[in-house]
Amino acid sequence: MKKIIALFLMVLVCVGAFAGCSGGSGGNGELVLYTWEGMFPQEVLDGFTEETGISINYANFDYDETMLARLEAAQGGEYDLVLADDYIIETVIQEGLAQKLDTSKLENWGSINPLYQGQFYDPADEYTVPYGAGVQTIVYDPEVVGGELTGYADLWDPALAGNVGLIANYRVINGMALKVLGKSYNVEEAADIQAAGQKLLELAPNVRLIKDDNLQDDLISGEVGAAVMYTSQATLALTTRPDLKVVFPEEGIGFGIMASFIPSKAPNPEAAYKFIDYILQPDVAAQCFEFLGYYCTNKDAEEKISEEVRPYLTLPDSFSKEDMEMIENISAEAMEEHEKVWTEFKAACE
Amino acid sequence: MKPKKKNKGALAALPLYIFTLVFVLGPLLYMLALSFMTRAETWGVVPEFTLENYANIFQPVYLSTFWESIKLAALSTVLVVLIGYPFGYFMAKLTAKWKKRTMMLLMIPFWTSSLLRLYGWIIIFRAGGVLDSVLMSLHITSGPLKLLYTYPAVVVGMVYALVPFMIFAVYSSAEKLDFSLVEAARDLGATPFKAFWTVSLKLTLPGLLSGVVLTFVPSMGLFFIADILGGNKVVLVGSLIQEQLLKAHNWPFAAALSVALLLLTTLLLFLYRKAAGVKDLEGLV
Repeated sequence: MKKIIALFLMVLVCVGAFAGCSGGSGGNGELVLYTWEGMFPQEVLDGFTEETGISINYANFDYDETMLARLEAAQGGEYDLVLADDYIIETVIQEGLAQKLDTSKLENWGSINPLYQGQFYDPADEYTVPYGAGVQTIVYDPEVVGGELTGYADLWDPALAGNVGLIANYRVINGMALKVLGKSYNVEEAADIQAAGQKLLELAPNVRLIKDDNLQDDLISGEVGAAVMYTSQATLALTTRPDLKVVFPEEGIGFGIMASFIPSKAPNPEAAYKFIDYILQPDVAAQCFEFLGYYCTNKDAEEKISEEVRPYLTLPDSFSKEDMEMIENISAEAMEEHEKVWTEFKAACE
Repeated sequence: MKPKKKNKGALAALPLYIFTLVFVLGPLLYMLALSFMTRAETWGVVPEFTLENYANIFQPVYLSTFWESIKLAALSTVLVVLIGYPFGYFMAKLTAKWKKRTMMLLMIPFWTSSLLRLYGWIIIFRAGGVLDSVLMSLHITSGPLKLLYTYPAVVVGMVYALVPFMIFAVYSSAEKLDFSLVEAARDLGATPFKAFWTVSLKLTLPGLLSGVVLTFVPSMGLFFIADILGGNKVVLVGSLIQEQLLKAHNWPFAAALSVALLLLTTLLLFLYRKAAGVKDLEGLV
């Protein structure tokens, strides 16, 4: 299997090399954009090409780790703009694979919501521009739950027996227990993580399923009454069934950001600047966030988002940085503790 | 297996040997090497020798996934034998025309991906799904049963996926059975049960045993059934390996778990050969 993956990666690298070649021969008129599939609406990509004459070569990766490996292999070259998750960007910056931004080249830099700036992966906002943000919320069916949920602790209510769905992300779910215990998502001490594990075992009788893919379907169909979900799933659930309610947990919310950066040896950084600035325009940004279904990190774009989905894509004004915490990289020992606690928890749910 | 006449055959089989070396032995060795390495702080591995990955397996939480896997595999195998053995046995007694037709009916589901067929079970089991509507319209139950994401749903999925292999194995064994032997036993005064017990069962035992191996061994690895129909709550070794590899990025531990699982299944195959006294899996060769 490993060999097959290696072979597959080799083929990918070759294809990538050719893509790089074509970029070089095509002159300055190309932007090599490297991100997950389907991150921008086609109209926005077409609109950019129309306005600037720069064509877009959209390259995909599945996992952040694949991106890191490719970027390491290319020594920070080959791609003009990369859009990836916060935690991997921290590593990218540490490895010197990203270049500092010249924000004077970005007319719309001021539109970014400061709530999403100055975070752990780029404390001084020197390298990155935030794009979509994933905010962990609880979505529930008031009729099934028979009351109002206000925070994570409410999920422990025995009345919810067999009615809770969770995403299969142990940093988020173990973190939820840590939050209920008044701790940070990013604690390193084994004792704290184990305490969270003990707390989770009490939740086990309420848990009906744990899965990452399409958890919203089980909430929509009534298989579960409440679910801790990814942002895109919450948006899908809420737009399909407007009677469902979303909770920003009172213990504080955890979130993640996908951000874009220019690799250290990007062949065409000017094109990257133009693209960043293009998607920072409030109306274009609004179009992107509506398409993406992630939280809007562009303050000026918020009012351009249609009223129907605005409540799901923007945080209430009352939120400040103190109410939010990002999930950061932690030591390998702490990770192993998390994995152990998580396996124990899953096995206890039956 | 005729070792004497292999000169020409060996040359023709060369691509197969190369393929096996590159794509089976190679990855296995890679996995073995990986299982002794140390996990890197952020991502990947560092080539530092350690036995910690193997020591980790003996933590109760991880050891219990092996126990859970064996339990589920054993339960599924028993049910598969109860359903598959009579089916295969009586199928061998059908006329040639009906044998063909039955075989055809058994083969048709394989034209569809097993994953898709599993999603079919979701449609049947889910709240307000096919099963619920039928039971409710017959007034047998009054509300949704909520069968999806439960242990029984996982067992049904396992049995469903594995029963054809038992049927094929028993059938090929029972087909070779000379039924005149059973008749002779009956003539000599044996009751139908006794004739079955002393003659038919003994003679179809190799088929039954290879069916058991064909069921038990794969069921140790069919973790996706437990994930899809069990809502990730039944933690098997397979799901643990997958999670350690793809989510936790702890490759060395995933490799150590895989080696342990491989050793366990090898041991089972070894025991099977001891018990059955046969070298090849009947119905497979």
